[in-house]
Amino acid sequence: MNPSEQIRAKAKELLDNKTVDCVIGYERSTDGKNSRPLFVYSSKDADRLIFDQTCAQNLVRYLLNRKDKVTGIVVKPCDSRAINLLLNEHQIQRDKVYVIGVACSGVAKTDWNKTSDKLRDACQICQQHKPVVYDFLVGEAKAEPAAEAYPDIKSMEGKSPGERRAFWEEQFSRCIRCYACRQVCPGCYCGECFVECLDPLWVGIRIAPGENEMWNTMRAFHLAGRCIGCNACELVCPVNIPLSLLNRKLEKDVQTLFKFQSGIDADAPPPFAAFQKDEKLGVAE
Amino acid sequence: MAVDYQPRIVGFLCNWCSYAGADMAGTSRITYPPNIRIIRVPCSGRVDPLLVVKAFQLGADGVLIAGCHPGDCHYTEGNYYARRRFALLRPFLDYLGIESGRFWMEWVSASEGKRFSQVVSSFTSELIKLGPRKALVPEAVS
Repeated sequence: MNPSEQIRAKAKELLDNKTVDCVIGYERSTDGKNSRPLFVYSSKDADRLIFDQTCAQNLVRYLLNRKDKVTGIVVKPCDSRAINLLLNEHQIQRDKVYVIGVACSGVAKTDWNKTSDKLRDACQICQQHKPVVYDFLVGEAKAEPAAEAYPDIKSMEGKSPGERRAFWEEQFSRCIRCYACRQVCPGCYCGECFVECLDPLWVGIRIAPGENEMWNTMRAFHLAGRCIGCNACELVCPVNIPLSLLNRKLEKDVQTLFKFQSGIDADAPPPFAAFQKDEKLGVAE
Repeated sequence: MAVDYQPRIVGFLCNWCSYAGADMAGTSRITYPPNIRIIRVPCSGRVDPLLVVKAFQLGADGVLIAGCHPGDCHYTEGNYYARRRFALLRPFLDYLGIESGRFWMEWVSASEGKRFSQVVSSFTSELIKLGPRKALVPEAVS
C-alpha cells in the first residue's frame, strides 16, 4: 500500500472504532495539483485523504482548537516535533492525540499553482526523515539526513555587520505585517501577542521599517529554543521574507550554547527555564 | 565621524547590586561618562529582550545590562536566567547587524563603584569607535 492508502485505511479504522472524533489530514485542492488540509469526521470521507510531495502545511496548529476532543492527525517528521513542543508546554494532552506519522523524504517547492520537481529549501537540508513521535507509522524513511544543516546561516555569519544590516533592512522593508507567520506557527499560541499589546505599545501599528524590524526580531526570538523548523512561516509569507534564516540562526545557537533541540524530547526542560551555575556562555565573564 | 559624537547608552541596572554600585560610584565621587541613562529594574532577570530591542529601535547606541555576580542574586537565580537569555540575544542582534559591541552584560556588585565607572567608560569608548547607529524609526525620540 502507498502512504495515501495506508492513511485512509487507518483513518477509517480510527473513526469506525470511535477512537478519535476527527482525523486531520490532507486532500487534493480544487486546482488538482496542490493539497489542502482536510478534517474527516466520518469514515465515508476518509477516501479523500492523500499524502504526497505537495503536502506542505503543518497541521499541528489545529490541535490547539481541539484540546477537549480526541483527534487523529497526519504529521510529517518536522511537524511531529511540534507535537512534542506542545506536549512539553502543556498545551495538548498525549491521550487526546492519535499521531499518524509519515516518513517523509521532502516536500516539493510550490509557487502558487506551479509545482516543481525541486524540494523545498527546508527539505534539502532536512535532518529528520522519521517522525519523533507517532502512534502509527506510515512509509519508510528513504532519504539520508543532509550533510550540512546550516550552510546559509554560516554564509550569513561570514558577512560584515554592515552588510547584514543592509540585507535585513531590505527584507523587513517588504513586510506588510499580515502576521500570517504567526497564525500558522504551532508555537505562537499566546492569548495576547506582544504585537497587539497597546500599553506598552511594543510595536507601533504603522507599517514602517523600525516597527517591522521590531516585529520580525521579537517573533523570531520568542521562538528561540522552541521553533521546530517546519518552515510553515516562510511558506505562507506573502512577500517571501527568508524567516528561516532568523529561526535557524537561533536554533543553531541554542544547540551550541545549551545543547538543546526543541521538539525532540517532550520531557526535556526548555533552555530558558533551566541553567547551570558554572556555564560559560560568552556574556558577562 | 564627528568628533563631538556622544553615544547614548541605556543601562538596565539591577536594584540590589548594580544600581547600588552606581550609587557607590556617585557617593565615592568616582567620575564616569554621562552617556548612560540608567533604568532601575528589580533584577537582571526582569529585563525582557523586548526592552533591549525596543531601546535599539528607538535609537540607543548601546545597551548595558548589569546585575549581581553569579551566586549573589537577591532572588537566588534571576541572573542565571538572564545570562542564558542574553547569551542568545547578543549573537542574534549581531546577526541582524547590531554589532555585539553595542550590547554588554556585566556583573557589578553593590561595593564595586570603581568597577561600574570602568565599565561605563570602556563601553562608551567602544561605542565612540563603532560610531553612531542609524535609528530604525525615522523620527526617533531623542
